Amino acid sequence: MKRKFDHPAPTEQEQLTGPKYWRSLDELSATPGFQAQLAREFPDGAAELDGVDRRNFMKIMAASFALGGAGLAGCRRPEKFILPYGKSVEGVIPGLPSYYATAMPLRKTAIPLLAETHQGRPTKLEGNPTYKPHGGAASLHAQASILELYDPDRATAHTKGGQQLTADAVNQLLVSINRNYSGNGGAGLAFLADESSSPTRQRLVAALRKRFPQATWSEYEPIVDEAPVTAAQAAFGAAVRPIYHFAKAKRIVSIDADFLHSAAGSLYYARGFANGRRLAKKDDPMNRLYMAESGLSLTGSMADHRLRLASSHMLAFAAQLSIQLFPEVGNELSAYRQGLQLPPKWIEECAADLAQHRGACVVVAGAHLPVEVQFLAHALNASLGNVGTTVTYVAVEPTNAAPITQLAASIKSGSVRTLVVLGGNPAFNAPADLDWAGLQKSVGEVVRFGYYADETSAVNPAATTHIAAAHYLESWGDARTVDGTIVPIQPMIQPLFGGLTQNEVIARIAGETEVDSYALVTATITALAGPGASAQNAMARFLHDGVLEGSAQRAVAVRLNLAAARQLFSPAQPLATFSKDNLEVRFQADYKMDDGRFANNGWLQECPDPISKISWDNAIFISPTLAKELGVYPKGSLIQVARVEAASFQQGMEMAFIGELTVNGKTVRAPLHIQPGLANYTIILPLGYGRTVVGHVGKGAGHNFYPLRTSANPHVATGGKLVATQEKYRLANTQEHWSMEGRDIVREANYEGANSYQENPGFVKTFGMESHTPSNLGVVGEKMTPQQRATEIPRGNSLYSTPKFDGMHQWGMSIDMNTCIACQACVVACQAENNIPIVGKDQVLRGREMHWIRIDRYYSDGNLDAGAFGGEGNKALPDDLDVSFQPMTCVHCELAPCETVCPVNATVHDEEGLNTMAYNRCIGTRYCANNCPYKVRRFNFFDYNQRSLDSLYMGQLADFGMPELVSLGKNPEVTVRMRGVMEKCTYCVQRIQNGKIQHKVKMAQLGSPGDVVVPDGTIKTACQQTCPVDAIVFGNILDKDSAVSKAKAREQEYEVLGYLNVRPRTTYAGRVRNRNPRMPGYTALPASRIEYQKKNEPQGQGHGHGGHDTHGKTAPAAGAEKKGAH
Amino acid sequence: MSKLFPKSANKLPLQIIIYLGLLAGIATAGVTYYMTPKYSRVGYAPVQPVPFSHAQHVQEVGLDCRYCHSNVEKSGHSNVPSAQTCMNCHSIIKVDSPLLAPVRESYEKNTPVPWVWIHQTPDYAYFNHAIHVNRGVSCVECHGKVNEMDTVKHTQPLSMGFCIECHRNPEQRLRDPKDVFNLDSKRLVDQGPEGVKLADKFMHDWKLMPPQSCSGCHR
Repeated sequence: MKRKFDHPAPTEQEQLTGPKYWRSLDELSATPGFQAQLAREFPDGAAELDGVDRRNFMKIMAASFALGGAGLAGCRRPEKFILPYGKSVEGVIPGLPSYYATAMPLRKTAIPLLAETHQGRPTKLEGNPTYKPHGGAASLHAQASILELYDPDRATAHTKGGQQLTADAVNQLLVSINRNYSGNGGAGLAFLADESSSPTRQRLVAALRKRFPQATWSEYEPIVDEAPVTAAQAAFGAAVRPIYHFAKAKRIVSIDADFLHSAAGSLYYARGFANGRRLAKKDDPMNRLYMAESGLSLTGSMADHRLRLASSHMLAFAAQLSIQLFPEVGNELSAYRQGLQLPPKWIEECAADLAQHRGACVVVAGAHLPVEVQFLAHALNASLGNVGTTVTYVAVEPTNAAPITQLAASIKSGSVRTLVVLGGNPAFNAPADLDWAGLQKSVGEVVRFGYYADETSAVNPAATTHIAAAHYLESWGDARTVDGTIVPIQPMIQPLFGGLTQNEVIARIAGETEVDSYALVTATITALAGPGASAQNAMARFLHDGVLEGSAQRAVAVRLNLAAARQLFSPAQPLATFSKDNLEVRFQADYKMDDGRFANNGWLQECPDPISKISWDNAIFISPTLAKELGVYPKGSLIQVARVEAASFQQGMEMAFIGELTVNGKTVRAPLHIQPGLANYTIILPLGYGRTVVGHVGKGAGHNFYPLRTSANPHVATGGKLVATQEKYRLANTQEHWSMEGRDIVREANYEGANSYQENPGFVKTFGMESHTPSNLGVVGEKMTPQQRATEIPRGNSLYSTPKFDGMHQWGMSIDMNTCIACQACVVACQAENNIPIVGKDQVLRGREMHWIRIDRYYSDGNLDAGAFGGEGNKALPDDLDVSFQPMTCVHCELAPCETVCPVNATVHDEEGLNTMAYNRCIGTRYCANNCPYKVRRFNFFDYNQRSLDSLYMGQLADFGMPELVSLGKNPEVTVRMRGVMEKCTYCVQRIQNGKIQHKVKMAQLGSPGDVVVPDGTIKTACQQTCPVDAIVFGNILDKDSAVSKAKAREQEYEVLGYLNVRPRTTYAGRVRNRNPRMPGYTALPASRIEYQKKNEPQGQGHGHGGHDTHGKTAPAAGAEKKGAH
Repeated sequence: MSKLFPKSANKLPLQIIIYLGLLAGIATAGVTYYMTPKYSRVGYAPVQPVPFSHAQHVQEVGLDCRYCHSNVEKSGHSNVPSAQTCMNCHSIIKVDSPLLAPVRESYEKNTPVPWVWIHQTPDYAYFNHAIHVNRGVSCVECHGKVNEMDTVKHTQPLSMGFCIECHRNPEQRLRDPKDVFNLDSKRLVDQGPEGVKLADKFMHDWKLMPPQSCSGCHR
């Protein structure tokens, strides 16, 4: 029966078929869009619409409906767009990154960098290889600094009293300051700036001070990473500073100096130190490091002989060392070393060793130590003939900046009307006795120039103008590196929020005619480039190279003036004795937070402290001795197999006791973390946590120790009193277990002596399971070359046939544990390169941190709990210990246990030896992570990228989406993973593929297309590229001349857990310790080896090893230090 | 309680199984046919903001692909040209055409023309154009005869199976490197027995080994 098509009333029959449905189709059919679509998709059917009968109409409708054509054009597939440029951008090829040279400034140095930018957005930072002293490496902070560019919590506008200001208003304000103070020469105007090495700023500040001679220019940094110039001034009669060249040093003595991490030139020092330590073959020389320190630092972990000594006793130590080396100073210095108790012969042998290496040794004193110690260090270096080889001195241009105490006094006296705070965060980290917040409040006009609206901006918002700063990746500027080389700071992107640069602000206040940052830097560089150079060329070359050729400071000749010590040295004080009621308190810059500036940087918060392995928090570090006396020593448990942990862990969460620490009359409450290796009564307080005015990431992270710090004792204080409460606090500790339990995970040997590296460079093959079982590779496999073995995986004694790898390259990696200093730059570099999310403290407590590479840290002291499973045994935490680091990533096993158990084949092996992940296939069984013997697979338990970290458990109900600013920082070459997917190290497969593609394209265009093998060194993994000590070597193992093949050919190379027959492609070089046989506490084998032998060869043990009784339970006398390191 | 069910009910379980099996079969067939890329993607020819005709510009005007898609030999993305490229000619030719208004606006305001993306690949699959066009794979293999299209149409499914098929047998799809941008040229294997020999030689000399494992495209 024919029906009219225009809205008939529903009849009974229609009602049976679903009138609502019918009606909506009717209505839709009337819209012109629908008609048009219908006409387009079904031209024949459309003609039948008029007067069509219902059955036909149903057919047509049903068909088109099934195709999603019922008026919903996008039902077929979501419409996406390609958005090209309007006007082409020169030099930008979408899909290929551009690299620009820049630098990250930090206090008085800078790290030259290459920024990888994708269409204008910087996504990754690498070291600039043009700057040879760093060799293309970047530090932990440099790698993490890119995240701050994309931090939604950064200051996005200039504000005053909560109101936003325009750029014009800010400029006018700065000009008005200039005008107001021009008349009286700047009286009443004060500046508090952070330290900077920028030559442009130096020039501008000189102009500023010339303009305002009465103004106060003050610089303040809470952290000293470079010793003040006073000691060198006295010792050499000139304002000089030392630069250490560790590559030339055979013997190094560090007096509380963490030169591998905390020093200003640490990247260069670490590189030099590693160059002196790396062993490619037998008879390669190796340096020896002696260290006396109160905490346990990265440098102390690398030390061959380590002495635990309170920082306040370092002067006595230095004096004793000086007297030992040069008895003629005994008269003058003996007063300073009265009462010092050291293990017998420690100083004697150390001094003897130094004396035998005159001109090739170096003594370094920590920057925080008093001037007397610095003086002695300079004197020792000069007297041992080291100047010119292992240490050179360069001139320091004095800034004549007033210290903050002087400025505080001025403010207190009411003579400051306008205060300009440039960078820094004095309200948070100024010495507590100054009460900076109160002082700042009392100043009438405050202009605060800063990247974040932080504590300093929040002191008195009504009277404070906050000028938003540009990130260094958005700024023009310059800086100097450790040796004085000038490097550019070049913007990768226009200031995202209209921020200004510091040079601009100073220029405006100084009333300079030229205020544009780029012009300012160009002027500085052209002036420095010398006569005859054209301005364009100099600046262009400078920006291209990333360094100013020849601008490194020349070493100056120095002459030691010992007599100056008489004026410099304060009279000798009796040696402080420390005890539970009189603790030495050391304020240290946190490894990651620095002085607190990185508190809102999620990557750095989540990166665990390399020694304590705590993330998202800080704690009061106490020694095991002190812990016992305070009653917070962890109790072992019945299920404990070996040693007691360094804290009480419940379900993997560290439950730390809260302690109340009183120093200088102020008290703070913070969790106590037992840190083996500390001097008995020294406690370490990492600074930089407990920020109050900080973004989402930093809120509630850690505890603020700045209130305890006074200007009199900013680095080392005494008289601390600690009381432990019974309250518990959860610390997110990523490594519960510190002991290797006598296993051969890290294989070590001494450099010389019996069973040493010299005697048998292949010492790693003498122990471990593989040493007394038939080879995994079988008879045939053992005879193969490494190249053959990489492609025809020998079956060995296995039942299973093995895959054949037929790629043109076979990728492999070697990690040298001898040089790895655990700086963790690789951890954050990997996070930046591979879009690895942060998970927040709560998830880290559950062990769900997402780092693809981690650095495992083990302590050994030669003791082993022999009485396992209920026996009494040894439950002591080590005091004097060996520290071993092992970076662990997916080792890309050739016979991977994870691949065989994936039910959906999401993880497979590719032709070039990589164990790959197809994220879209993974269904989240997590069987692969279960099977992985190295536990390097990380699972996305939640959608960490798209959901806010504090609402993860709300699942779908939480807000979805990452802030646009955050998404700008993701690397477009790598998939951003979602919830439910497993991920792990991929050997930076995106870099491998891009490298191969670029090489093949280049060869095809050059006319030799058959040349498909990528030259060695072209493809670098992120971890390899950033490592300052080149501990990670990656490349093609089919090429026997590649760096990685040579590294793997070293005799001390072995596979971790190799007995499992997984055939990892990443092998490790065993650690060698260069012990001095004459030092006290010398053992013929490193402690981890002794533990191994005790566990696995119990009949061979006894007192025959070395001479030192490691079992002796000598109760330490109160106040005396334990016997020297093994 | 004796005769609760009629005798015909004995056949019921068998009928249910048969019908369910049939249903499953139909559903599977339906999904396999209708919901795979071969059906759902091929033929997609959306309306573009500017009715750019490749047929006219390539065959009549004589432009080479690379005039506009200038980075296809260098980068992973084959770039859709910026408005500046269009304005190279259209600042003189058809300067007032209303159809070209979006291009002029884009050029003046430096905002993008919102071209509809036809050959959509998922975010987790990384395809690189440069390596293909430099090593003998022509545009026409994946994009079809674009030089004859008035509106660009999705001609190949571009599913993973499609890619893998070629990666397993690349010699079937190769062209002489000179012919890559000539969409009317013939594949080497279609040029007689000589061509087949050339294709094999190509594979051997150039060491063509397209990745067949996941890491080739999934990062």
